[in-house]
Amino acid sequence: MSSIRITRKVLVAAGTVLVLTGAAACSSSSDSGGSGSKGGASGKKVRLITGVKSDPFYITMTCAAQTEAKAKGMDFSADGSAQWDVSVQRPLLDSVAASRPDGLLISPVDVSALTPSLKQIQSAGTKVALVDTTVTDPSIGMTRISSDNEKGGRVAADALAKLMNEKGSAIVISVKPGVSTTDARIKGFTEEMKKYPNIKMLPTLYDNDLPATAASQIQSTLAAHPDLGGVFAGNTNTGTGIATGLKQAGKQGTVKVAAFDAEPDEVASLKAGTLQVLVAQDPAAIGKEAVDQLAAAFEGKSVQKSIGTNMVAITKANMDQPEISKYFYKAGC
Amino acid sequence: MSANSQDIKPAAKAPDVPPSDGGRFAIPPWLRRAAGISELWTFVILVALVAFFTIAAPGKFFTQYDLTQIAVNAAIYLVLGVGMTFVIITAGIDLSIGSVLVLAAVAAGEYNIHHGGPASSWGTVAVCVVIALAVGAGWGALQGAVVATGKVPPLIVTLGGLGAALGIAELATGGQDPAGAAATHLQNSLGFGKLAGIPWMVILAAAVTALFGAVLGATRFGSHTLAIGSNPTAVRRAGIPVGRHLIMVYGLMGLLAGLGAVMWLASYGTTSIAGHSTDNLKVITAVVLGGTSLFGGRGSVLGTVIGVFIPAVLTTGLIVIGVQQYWQDVAVGVVLVAAVYIDQMRRKTRERA
Repeated sequence: MSSIRITRKVLVAAGTVLVLTGAAACSSSSDSGGSGSKGGASGKKVRLITGVKSDPFYITMTCAAQTEAKAKGMDFSADGSAQWDVSVQRPLLDSVAASRPDGLLISPVDVSALTPSLKQIQSAGTKVALVDTTVTDPSIGMTRISSDNEKGGRVAADALAKLMNEKGSAIVISVKPGVSTTDARIKGFTEEMKKYPNIKMLPTLYDNDLPATAASQIQSTLAAHPDLGGVFAGNTNTGTGIATGLKQAGKQGTVKVAAFDAEPDEVASLKAGTLQVLVAQDPAAIGKEAVDQLAAAFEGKSVQKSIGTNMVAITKANMDQPEISKYFYKAGC
Repeated sequence: MSANSQDIKPAAKAPDVPPSDGGRFAIPPWLRRAAGISELWTFVILVALVAFFTIAAPGKFFTQYDLTQIAVNAAIYLVLGVGMTFVIITAGIDLSIGSVLVLAAVAAGEYNIHHGGPASSWGTVAVCVVIALAVGAGWGALQGAVVATGKVPPLIVTLGGLGAALGIAELATGGQDPAGAAATHLQNSLGFGKLAGIPWMVILAAAVTALFGAVLGATRFGSHTLAIGSNPTAVRRAGIPVGRHLIMVYGLMGLLAGLGAVMWLASYGTTSIAGHSTDNLKVITAVVLGGTSLFGGRGSVLGTVIGVFIPAVLTTGLIVIGVQQYWQDVAVGVVLVAAVYIDQMRRKTRERA
């Protein structure tokens, strides 16, 4: 999922930067009358803005943040963009800024276009925590919490290697090069696979988010490497294509497939045997941790600048255990 | 004008100017005809590619498995390419096919979801197929009507259609691929079923290709299509209703995009809303590779078949011999430009003659 999030934002970035700088210049009433450092987390107004409202990843994150904030007695509410788009998220951010919250959790949909708005809200006294995605300007956000994607790649490699009985060829089919999150996952995956001397890593292929391309690529790879035992799929579309390609080739189940995230339809695919490994991020931990860090800031305690949350491998064998199934993403609280 | 008629497949009767210069150099007409067929050149390229990969990767490339997978993966593009051949021959273009495919798939998929989901009956499957075909044909005919009557260039009409059809599909689904869009019956038959070892996907694509190859080459509908691309004014003066014919051609393109949607649902089991953004470029590449002129009046379905298989063979072959992926895009691009370049050179020398 997050690979799509990242790529879309590049497109809208250019146009919005102009608008944003204009807007920021007009309304720079930076009276620092916000309620920044009064101490104590109870009663503080905290807002959360996610990347895509309907995405189970963000729904899960929102639910956890809400529970934690309620437990701490905060005044909490959440909203999210309808689409992964700066022009949709910015008005949301502006309206939240106008309400002068004490704390803001946000998953910015662009690495730079939202920086002026965020700077403004931060200088007005709101404590900002970046969750899941980040911005390039390091001065934004007192804490940044996201999944450790490289670790996720390693988790996927270990789980896949085990299912492959630690032998055969393995390949990564991803969406496109140059996306920070997926690049980190591939890096972790490839490095970890080097620990298995009998597994041969093939060069990574990119399908440009087209299932048909992924299907043809996996079948061509099978022709060249009949010992292919494992595939790491970059995202959902890629996973769809790989599943079809393997089925056409009569290799479904023989070649093991690992994919990222644990959305409801992916869990269904795991049950059905189309996918063999899911690497779940921990959006709930991201949400909870962010609220905790904000609370620490309100209480004047020290705040961790950056936190990488854990990832877990889900297979058919362990998916029924409660300590694993809690990682399934939720479609609602 | 005279060059146009020479390049029509031998089976196609030239609509306006019969080849009157036969036998000028005392070369037997059949040989002149064979050398004049655009497909011959691209076919030579295809054969050369296949030979190269067969030698480069012995026992891995020219195998039954590999040929089957190339054909299966090319099947949908082939069906779309057949429709696009007709459109481009009329000097038109259709950029909307990927979106029309998605829209038809979503329409059929939504019906399926509300009538049994994956476990739905054969009856539901049949209705879904009809819905997909009707949505595709309807959308195509609508675009054709605007092209025919509104004096809006087809590039713009179908560019608008590209956005609008995808937008409607996203509105209907909230932008997420709905679960349960394809029936298990459909997937196990058309999607993954085989007849005597040949996948149904390939049989269907071959049947569509043969049917419309014959329509283009041997029917009045076909010769009118070629004539409109050559000289719409002359055709109009001859009393042929050009507008109505364009609506039918664009409707045919839409119908085949609808069929592509059925094939997609059958083999991928989901609507893949985000996965068809470059279908149009892939298909147009194939059609042009096959010798169909972007200026209209000239082209053949057989050429398109070859044009679909050249990129398919290239990508598969390069993966099989283990060439880094970025080279594949370079290779397809170079072959495309080279094929059209050679074709143009040949055409010029002949026009001068």
